[in-house]
Amino acid sequence: MSDKDKKHFLDTFREWFGAFSYGVFIDKRMSVVRKEAYDEYDNLMLLLFSDFLGIPNPISYYMLELLPYLAEELEPWERRIQNRKFIVAEKAAQYDFD
Amino acid sequence: MAMKEKPSDPKYVFFGGKGGTGKTTCAGSFAVQMAKRGRKTLIISTDPAHSLSDAYGAAIGPEIVPVSENLWAVEVDAELEAKKYVKQIQDQMLDLVSAAIVEEIKKQLEIAYLSPGAEEGAIFDKFIEIMHLMGKPYDLMVFDTAPTGHTLRLLTLPEVLGVWIQHLIDRHEKARNLMKASVKYDDILRKRLEDDPIIRVLTKRKEKFEFARGILTDSEACEFVFVLNAEKLPILETERAIELLEKFSIPVGGLVVNKVIPPEAGEYFQKRRVIQEGYLRDIQQRFSEYRIVQLPLLDMDIQGMSQINMVSDLMGELIH
Repeated sequence: MSDKDKKHFLDTFREWFGAFSYGVFIDKRMSVVRKEAYDEYDNLMLLLFSDFLGIPNPISYYMLELLPYLAEELEPWERRIQNRKFIVAEKAAQYDFD
Repeated sequence: MAMKEKPSDPKYVFFGGKGGTGKTTCAGSFAVQMAKRGRKTLIISTDPAHSLSDAYGAAIGPEIVPVSENLWAVEVDAELEAKKYVKQIQDQMLDLVSAAIVEEIKKQLEIAYLSPGAEEGAIFDKFIEIMHLMGKPYDLMVFDTAPTGHTLRLLTLPEVLGVWIQHLIDRHEKARNLMKASVKYDDILRKRLEDDPIIRVLTKRKEKFEFARGILTDSEACEFVFVLNAEKLPILETERAIELLEKFSIPVGGLVVNKVIPPEAGEYFQKRRVIQEGYLRDIQQRFSEYRIVQLPLLDMDIQGMSQINMVSDLMGELIH
């Protein structure tokens, strides 16, 4: 095996191993964190636009100025928040308990 | 009578009190008096039932107009301001998202525009806009406010909403940090997180509240004057209102007791006058730490500049 071949082999191995460990160790964990982040954003949306769901909000008038930036997320958020039926099951699924 | 150290030179004077006590007349004649003394005075009416035009006998609208030498006036139209605000958001939205989504959101904008806080929000925004005009060229702003409850809510708004918005900012930071952590290995998403318009908008809003709060609580620059009649309910209401303002550390300067029946009113009012004198003593006792000015009940309406001029000398005692 020449040095060049060795280097090529090592590079390929490193790439494959990187992808493998990303899948095994990182991606799954990161998706848990990301789900948590999305939930946190959903909660924030609730604080910003609760009056859209019929909950009075003292600051709703001023939060209109955020609409241009959040308009696209508003509709899916409303759907998600209204379809939340069983939060425990949702959390359990997130941590692989189901 | 023990008096509070008066601010040497208040720049913002708010007139408030129960409905029908004569706020507009007092604020109007005070503004005229100050203008006569050479202060560049702007009088701002925020009462939804505007009466400044009637008091001055001049057409005053939602834009600032000159009334006489050194005196300008404006009547804030909450509905118009709210409409402008919503329109501006809609235009901005068209730049950022597709027209289809704008259509969808329109319904929500309408709802929020009709929500209970909208009117106060709009007036408050206009307040801030006007306060930024201080010194260009105005050096005194006189606010003729709506009846007590309404105004107190308005003035305490920055404190209450300031706390709320800080909470929102913290909340957003938390969500953002989580999001950042989760995209540590994803360059594209990470780039997208760099620019954050939400925090920008929230911070700007918070700064506006802090600006207003800074002025309202500055006892050198701002003072609140209550207009009341020598009757039981206005006295009680004024006392409650002063308590609330002091809780929010908004400085109270003085009181104007309006429509005091003069001795020359004659037989018919004699009984009424005796009752009023009791209330006047009560006012002196309860509010001994504030400056108190009495305005007599006149035998006519105070309407138009010439009559305002007659009362304005009395109002001058409010400030030296």
